[in-house]
Amino acid sequence: MSKPTNLVLLIDDEPKIRRFIRAGFELHGGFTVQEAEDAAEGLQAATFNAPDLIILDLALPDRRGNEVLDLVRSWSNVPIIILSVEANEEEKVRLLEAGADDYVVKPFGIAELIARSHAALRRYFKTANENPVVVAGPLSIDLVNRTVLLNNNQIKLTRKQYRLLHVLATHLGLVVTHDQLLDDIWSTSVRKNIQYLRILVRDLRQIIEPDPNRPRLLVTESGVGYRLQSKIEDITLS
Amino acid sequence: MPFGMEGKFCKLPWLPPRLTEASAAPGRRDAPSDNAWLWRRLIIAGGLPLVTSLLLVGAATAGLLLVGRFFQANLVTIVYLIPVMLAATWWGTWPAVAAAIAGAAAADFFFYPPYYSFRLDDTQAAIDLLLFLLVALVSGDLASRLRRETETLRHREDELQYLYGFSRRLAACHTVSDLVEAIQDYLSESLGRHTAFFIPAPVTASQSTVANGAPAFIQNQAAAMMKPDAEPSRIIRDETGKSLWLLRNVVSAETVYGVIAVDIGGEPDAAVDERTGRVEAILLEASQTLQRLDIGGAMEEASHRLKDQLLRDAFHGNLSHELRSPLAAIKGSASVLETIASIRDENQALPLVSTITGEAERLDSFIGNLLHAMRVSASDVRPHLSCADPRDIVNAALHRRSRQLAAHEVTSGFDRDLPMVDVDSALVEEACGQLLDNAAKYSPAGSTISVAVKAASGYVNISISDRGAGITGEERAQLGQRSFRGERHRDVVPGAGLGLWIASTFISANHGSIEIMSEGLGCGTTASIILPEAIIDEDTGPNDE
Repeated sequence: MSKPTNLVLLIDDEPKIRRFIRAGFELHGGFTVQEAEDAAEGLQAATFNAPDLIILDLALPDRRGNEVLDLVRSWSNVPIIILSVEANEEEKVRLLEAGADDYVVKPFGIAELIARSHAALRRYFKTANENPVVVAGPLSIDLVNRTVLLNNNQIKLTRKQYRLLHVLATHLGLVVTHDQLLDDIWSTSVRKNIQYLRILVRDLRQIIEPDPNRPRLLVTESGVGYRLQSKIEDITLS
Repeated sequence: MPFGMEGKFCKLPWLPPRLTEASAAPGRRDAPSDNAWLWRRLIIAGGLPLVTSLLLVGAATAGLLLVGRFFQANLVTIVYLIPVMLAATWWGTWPAVAAAIAGAAAADFFFYPPYYSFRLDDTQAAIDLLLFLLVALVSGDLASRLRRETETLRHREDELQYLYGFSRRLAACHTVSDLVEAIQDYLSESLGRHTAFFIPAPVTASQSTVANGAPAFIQNQAAAMMKPDAEPSRIIRDETGKSLWLLRNVVSAETVYGVIAVDIGGEPDAAVDERTGRVEAILLEASQTLQRLDIGGAMEEASHRLKDQLLRDAFHGNLSHELRSPLAAIKGSASVLETIASIRDENQALPLVSTITGEAERLDSFIGNLLHAMRVSASDVRPHLSCADPRDIVNAALHRRSRQLAAHEVTSGFDRDLPMVDVDSALVEEACGQLLDNAAKYSPAGSTISVAVKAASGYVNISISDRGAGITGEERAQLGQRSFRGERHRDVVPGAGLGLWIASTFISANHGSIEIMSEGLGCGTTASIILPEAIIDEDTGPNDE
């Protein structure tokens, strides 16, 4: 990251989980971690310490995590990543629609959480200093000139294929929900038709993926949406 | 609670209405005496309709007199049919007969010459009146019969409605005490008397007892009747000597469901005797009703359901959280250790750390499996179907099980033009994962597991083949049952036998099927998931230029 250290506010009631997340974040990527063990403490810290990123557990003793999400979102755009034990797909979609930037399901490895955090921070700071070229593995997408290079060769995409790639690129590394994509690509009249999106994704994968049967760039988040990986290595994390 | 029923006009589904009213009557303690009260009821029930029908005839006469004698005499009798029909439909045969006779007499007196005399000069007039009387009696009888039938029908419908409501309430009872309470309420309301329902002791011991307001003495007597060979019914006086209780047991051939105790109250006089007889008749019916509704089954089910529910709730809520949180901490901590340079470089340490991670994941997936199994056994699998690419599902399953598959050579192949499927991706992915798990478990390390996804005329076939232990014909017959595990593997391969059971339930919830094929022992196994192809609306396709 370009910033010297990012302040991460970690709201989770399990001390042992806080401990390993703190260790992981402080060892890698230059984060400073502030811990909060319940919603009240977390909200207070979110208000006064202006964190760069919030990691929020859904199961808090004093308040439901999604209420904390709503409250923070009512005044701040700070990136929020949700931790949860087995959130179902609808729950994930609801959280994303309520303004969460991404989610990680417990149990998870620290690398996955750090990768999501970097992606969320990148997007957050991107809005301030707009970099028009997004690089995702062998792909480079120029958002201003609307050109896409694959292994340095320009590729030709249809308008909708480009639109799909564009939306995913602006959320590089983060999940984008089906509804968000449908809204963005199709007019409202057909936007609830997920079939179109599936077919569009299949066609785009044929063009950009080295092996379209085993996609590693444009990956599916089952029941939730799609994610454009920033690097091909990302998906081998465990 | 049941005393609140006193004085209330109550509904008694299995008896004709007249008895219902009478059986409610003794509940009125404020009445001077039961006999006097009954007489009054009798007079009101019998006399009032009679008097009113005569008044109706009077009204018809007055009307006819007003219109005058210009009215043709033979039309007069038709007017007199009106009170007869009204009396028949409202009150039944006797008031109708009274109205018919009174009508004939009035017609004779006022409208047939000589006027103001019952004498008849004209034979024609006599025939007229006789004819009227005949018609009036026959149609009165018909009308009253119709009325009775309608009433019976309505009554039967009420009874059915009430029984339906009752059985619905029984079905909604989750605990035995709920059931007992429902039965008590039902009987108290039906009988208009304070009623208690006792159930056999072993069930009550674990449940909180329901307040039934019966004295201890009666409870003991009821307990003594909990035998299939006990007297079916007894009348006993409680220890205070103030009231009489009628006890009746609800039994089938071999089990006692319980004992009903009704407080009949009062001194042993004629009224109480009569009331006892009536209550006994009703109780006989009630106990048959309760047997018919299978109270025994309902009770057993209620207590099972309660235990099941408690266990499931405990596991779903706290237990799974309690188990998963430490696992998350273990896996997370191990993942941090893995990133530390000094551990990465240490040949001894790194495998240990991956063991920690692997075992934590294994435990977590085991808990996940139990949760899935609970969903399946609670019939709580509700798929949210939506269009999905079968490739995504298979890749996700392969990715999620990468650790379990690490020791095997995994190949995957996809048909070029795979159609989409209309499924709940999460469920199909889980089913696919279960089959991959099985393939890995029952085939030797280093052997190949191949996954092939093919399109086949309207269907998508996901097949997972291993080169492992294979399946015998006998084992095949039992596959898919919950907890079935082949004899040969029980001591060698860890597992709970839930995998295929979960997989088949999840797949059939998605309108698909699972097929297991094996050439036999040692020849490997192929498990196939067959899903119907999604119907894509071609006309309004994605419309991409």
